Amino acid sequence: MYDLLEKAADRLARGTALLGGLVLIVVVAMTCVSITGRALVPFGFGPVRGDFEWIEIGVGFAIFAFLPWCHLQRGHASVDLFEPAFPPLMNRIINFLVDIVMFMAAAIIAWRLWLGMLDKQRFGETTFIVQFPIWTAYAACLFGALVFVVVVAFCTLRSGRALFSAPKG
Amino acid sequence: MTNIELALWSFPVLLALIFLRFPIALAMLGVGFAGTYLVTGTPNMTLSQLKTLTFGTFANYSLSIIPLFLLMGQFATLSGMSAALFRAAEAFLGHRKGGVAMAAVGACAGFGAICGSSLATAATMGQVALPELRRYGYPGSLSTGALAAGGTLGILIPPSVILVIYAILTEQNIAKLFVAAMLPGILAAAGYMLAIAIWVRVAPNSASVGARMPWGQRLRALGAVWPVMTIFLVVVGGIYLGIFTPTEAAAVGAAGTGIAALLSGQMTSAKFKQAILSTASSTAMIFLIVLGAGLYNGFLALTQLPQTAAGWVSGQGFSPWAVLVIVLVMYLVFGCIMDSLSMVLLTVPIIYPIMSALDFGLAPDDFGLWFGILVLIVVEVGLITPPVGMNLFIINGMARDIPIGQTFRGALPFVVTDIVRVAFLAVFPPFTLWLVWAIY
Repeated sequence: MYDLLEKAADRLARGTALLGGLVLIVVVAMTCVSITGRALVPFGFGPVRGDFEWIEIGVGFAIFAFLPWCHLQRGHASVDLFEPAFPPLMNRIINFLVDIVMFMAAAIIAWRLWLGMLDKQRFGETTFIVQFPIWTAYAACLFGALVFVVVVAFCTLRSGRALFSAPKG
Repeated sequence: MTNIELALWSFPVLLALIFLRFPIALAMLGVGFAGTYLVTGTPNMTLSQLKTLTFGTFANYSLSIIPLFLLMGQFATLSGMSAALFRAAEAFLGHRKGGVAMAAVGACAGFGAICGSSLATAATMGQVALPELRRYGYPGSLSTGALAAGGTLGILIPPSVILVIYAILTEQNIAKLFVAAMLPGILAAAGYMLAIAIWVRVAPNSASVGARMPWGQRLRALGAVWPVMTIFLVVVGGIYLGIFTPTEAAAVGAAGTGIAALLSGQMTSAKFKQAILSTASSTAMIFLIVLGAGLYNGFLALTQLPQTAAGWVSGQGFSPWAVLVIVLVMYLVFGCIMDSLSMVLLTVPIIYPIMSALDFGLAPDDFGLWFGILVLIVVEVGLITPPVGMNLFIINGMARDIPIGQTFRGALPFVVTDIVRVAFLAVFPPFTLWLVWAIY
């Protein structure tokens, strides 16, 4: 059962991160097209309308999509200087605590993003140039935020299992 | 407890959490949240802020330069450019005493021009240069030390992620900061080469020297690195000439190194995915820290600690230079245990107002650039000092037969040149600012 969950969490986080990367590459391509268009204005071409806004939204989506993979890989910057000096049990407790607090943070981020989305929807806010409804961008980002919550929940299970089932040390 | 006391107490709490191995981003998020709660007496302020803060931080035009530069660097590692750069540098330097090690440093500098990450630079150049250094019989400590130090050129030579963060925190012009970093970056490479030249003369070793290359061959080797030069000139030149914004430049750079990687035939589907996942991991790490720093610095601003501290320091009549020395030494010490990006995000919002209230005889804009370069150099020294110098571990992981103690010792001469360089740049601001004055 656990092995299955582990595989599923890995697939989910990896797939979400790759999707974010794909969007990042689309942003790169769109920016290059836009710059070329701007350079060719005398020949009747033009930049992509609202290119700055698309960059912001695309990159924002990508970053939300990157969060789960980073946490699954324990990729966050931390000071591991004292890890070897701490007793193994203490390290396992810390790992577990970190995951619990991260789970709370991820849940709060997703919850507030959801409320923010409802606000934007209610007030009908749009981007400045393309008049793109901002709440849809929030909704897209909510996908990454929710995957983040799910993956951190798995990580909490992972470190909890390591804490309670490993030989006492 | 007054608000200021609360802010002061938040430092030891934050440090304790960080030393207990809490991710730095999470520690800042938690302390920022709790601190604001204590000041305002309710969690609502942070909670309502978070409705827009996360999206606003992640979908931010200035900050979107960061994932794009990271992607550019990842593609650069797959472009095969590292080998071409090394061969070109070797053609010019290989016949000198210590020349192959110097060539490794020179190639790192070249790679740094298309890669904004020290770790990626060290890892990529290590793959190419370590076997060569071994073939020429260089001592292990010199090889790993030189490559670890050379790796820091990745971030000293623009583009540089840390400079982008600093520019955003202090409202400096990114393009000007990149210009200001140029001469100090070249000085860094020269300093490392000098350290190698002295080392091979002072310490007896068995390293052999390559044959002197005729100029025709040198120029041909140099010609092979044209993609690097083109990408660098387009990216950096485009920013200076105002053809595109720094964010657009990063996208162009990512496209450039991406195409170079495709053409080199090294970009298999697996490696492409790996490049994306590495970008994903570092991007998420950085942005979570940016978010945490946003909450934490919001809490500090609420207590008015930065202004109070700045007023207090400038009211004491301390010598500005003494304060500068203390700040730089503090960065050096903390850099040994903490990663540079978190340190910049954590400290610059407090330190910068203090420092800019002091009189160094510079215009405010010039001060911002000069101080930024100094901070950039001192925080990067931490990458090649024990106990947690990441570059040392990356290079050492590639040369498993060399004990880590030798790598630590091998990095020392380069740390010395770093410190000498910081002292020189601190005492002589025009060296950093001259190119900015000349261009703008």
